[in-house]
Amino acid sequence: MTSVAAHRPGPRAWGVMLISELKMTTRDTAGLIVPFGLPLLILVMNAAAAAEQQIAHGRTALDVYVLPLVFTMVVATTGVINMPSFLAYYRRSGILRRLGVTPASPAMVLFAQVAVSVAQTFVGIAIAWTVAMLAFDAKPPVSIGAAIGVFALATAAMYAAGLIVAALAPTPNSAVAIGLALYFAIGALGGMFGGRDSLPGVLATIGEWLPFGAAVASISAAWIGAPVAAAHLIALAAGVVLGGVVGAAFFRWE
Amino acid sequence: MSEPPLAVEADGLHKRYAAKVAVDDVSLSIAVGEIFGILGRNGAGKTTTVELIAGLRKPDRGTVRVLGLDVRRDRARLRQVLGVQLQSSHLHAALTVAELVLMYGTFYPDPLDADELIESVGLTESRRIRFERLSGGQQQRLSIALALVGRPRVVILDELTTGLDPEARRQMWTTVETLRDSGVTVLLVSHAMEEVERLCDRVALLDAGRVVALDSPAGIVGRAGFAQRVTFRASEPVPDGLLERIDGVERVRADGDSFVVEGSGDLLQAVSVGLVRAGVVVTGTRSEQATLDDAFVALTGRHLEKEESTS
Repeated sequence: MTSVAAHRPGPRAWGVMLISELKMTTRDTAGLIVPFGLPLLILVMNAAAAAEQQIAHGRTALDVYVLPLVFTMVVATTGVINMPSFLAYYRRSGILRRLGVTPASPAMVLFAQVAVSVAQTFVGIAIAWTVAMLAFDAKPPVSIGAAIGVFALATAAMYAAGLIVAALAPTPNSAVAIGLALYFAIGALGGMFGGRDSLPGVLATIGEWLPFGAAVASISAAWIGAPVAAAHLIALAAGVVLGGVVGAAFFRWE
Repeated sequence: MSEPPLAVEADGLHKRYAAKVAVDDVSLSIAVGEIFGILGRNGAGKTTTVELIAGLRKPDRGTVRVLGLDVRRDRARLRQVLGVQLQSSHLHAALTVAELVLMYGTFYPDPLDADELIESVGLTESRRIRFERLSGGQQQRLSIALALVGRPRVVILDELTTGLDPEARRQMWTTVETLRDSGVTVLLVSHAMEEVERLCDRVALLDAGRVVALDSPAGIVGRAGFAQRVTFRASEPVPDGLLERIDGVERVRADGDSFVVEGSGDLLQAVSVGLVRAGVVVTGTRSEQATLDDAFVALTGRHLEKEESTS
């Protein structure tokens, strides 16, 4: 009989896949404009006025409202639009199909995609924060630990939403369209185009429970040193679980 | 002791897409070390058949074992021993030849040396070129290199030389022959008869999802119903029954002054002598061997390649 040991690609394979994804991303310069450029634009447009407006603990409206919004936008863009689009492109072009006949596992591809995408997010945020601090005198969050924790959870929730888009979109083009629609929907309900306060009551509540609104509210609370609402944390955590389950259950190579 | 498993054992494969039956009761047994061809026109079910064998699709009915491994249930082990070059699949566009060979190599426990592999498919000069900037032929060669990087024991090559120039085509054939010499089993999907005749030990002829013939290339050519064909023009009437009486002649067709004589043995010699003895002067005499295409026409009523414009 044939004796074939079932071999799983090891850490080196994961590392090489990760580096390959990094190279793919940095060589596709057009794809970097939205996550890096758009938040910076929003920041610059709002920063001057907001930086004047004191809120509490020496934090201005820039720190408490604009920066959480900008950070959330960065992570929503990379998580909900870019990551599923990249996966959809891989699927359409047959790259996933080709990997599907090797011992590489879907988990390797997803891990590399998400890791590279998260790295993009951090670069986008670093750029925005550097500009905010140097040009507009932004201050760090009052509760730094809480801010980091909440942001990490918000990131996970956005990518979970992105995984749902990638897994459920019937065609590659629809993945981009669904990602964009979802981004603007949760963004609009979550305060991207003006405070949630100006929305009708029901919509404002829904927006608050969706990842965008929950992320902005939680980061904002941490920034000013206020307790983060448990409801927001639960909403984000539920999003992570849902996305992970749906993403894993419906992932396909082609 | 149990018998050593076959390289590929497909049994009663059946696959339907919506209204169309793509693969209809296909069974194949491929021995270890064989180069086995699957030949057929576009839409005959070739690609679906190899996708079922590669475990990429689930058959509606039937089973496939590769080296004794069930392709649906033993996927992890199957992927170690089966290398696949797929038609119409792409690679990471912005990665270079060397980067892709390195990455695919890391998926396997004991990959081939990247530089040697790149050299063996003639891509050393292009090793720093991104996939998206390679020519079609270069992409094809890289794709084959990636199918081989994990030292597979069975390789599926789908439309190996489609889109390659004649020189690259011959290089590819040499590569496949080298594979055979090292004991690798090759399943070759093709609609290029020259390729199949040159490389394959056995061929399955697919038409409308069914195997209509399964034999060595020479054996299949034998089903054309004749071995030789001689054509000529007669400048004067040929006496009735003259050609039919010549040794080895099986069939005669006349169209005005044009004649087509089919048969076996040294047909050209026999026909020429017979005509000279009868004092019939002929011109434009040509002799040809039966080809796989003649066999294909005899078996299915249609030409294999004539209608091929796209792939």
